[in-house]
Amino acid sequence: TGGHTTEILRLLSCLSESYSPRHYVFADSDEMSEAKIRSFEQKRAETFSSSQFTLDRIPRSREVRQSWTSSVVTTLYSILYSLPLTYKLKPDLILCNGPGTCVPVCISALLLGLLGIKRAIIVYVESICRVETLSLSGKILYYFSDYFIVQWPDLKEKYPKSVYLGRIV
Amino acid sequence: FRFKDSLAEDLRRADLVISHAGAGSCLETLEKGKPLIVVTNEKLMNNHQLELAKQLDRDGHVFCCNCSTLVETLQSMDLSTLKPFSPGQPEKFASFLDKVFGFQ
Repeated sequence: TGGHTTEILRLLSCLSESYSPRHYVFADSDEMSEAKIRSFEQKRAETFSSSQFTLDRIPRSREVRQSWTSSVVTTLYSILYSLPLTYKLKPDLILCNGPGTCVPVCISALLLGLLGIKRAIIVYVESICRVETLSLSGKILYYFSDYFIVQWPDLKEKYPKSVYLGRIV
Repeated sequence: FRFKDSLAEDLRRADLVISHAGAGSCLETLEKGKPLIVVTNEKLMNNHQLELAKQLDRDGHVFCCNCSTLVETLQSMDLSTLKPFSPGQPEKFASFLDKVFGFQ
């Protein structure tokens, strides 16, 4: 969604073509992200002509401030949906930055790893907006990601297993 | 003015920006090097929006106030004390990932 997409595209801006093809997964209710992604990839294709990417939508796992119990149900539904997608894509790297959409995808990847089908490296970058507290996705994925990156020193202190590189978006 | 596609042009011409605490608004303004006053409303906002505004204020990049103190802030502010906001460095992220994967 919105801010998350802008941030993630900035994160991608300096990556080499080793990180290709890129598979973007976002919420079905998100209208603006597709345009931003296409615009980014179009620009990228000007420099790297063999650049490849795909777009996939999954059901949104949680609305802002949705209740706990209904969130569990909608997240389970999103996991059911994202499991076959993750199986199909078999990513080497999952890069996510906080929208609820990333949790089912990461859980699917963890399951595939546990089943010995594909082990993906999960890199989570918490939003620049998070200075003192983690988002809900962050609190969950702090324990399940391979690398958890924060952008402010307060968070590095509170979450010692995190990586602090300064502001990166 | 309700929902323009982009405020980039207005931002370019502005001498001072007074904004709510949305991260996108704050960061876009700071990156363009415009002085910024952030008006917060603790009752309406998500707590985490407030976090960024407060940190930017602490670091001297913006002046934070609320609706009732806005006038006073405008009268007493010294924009020359605002510190320039350096852009984020995604190249550091790229470097980090390259090390993780052994691409160097």
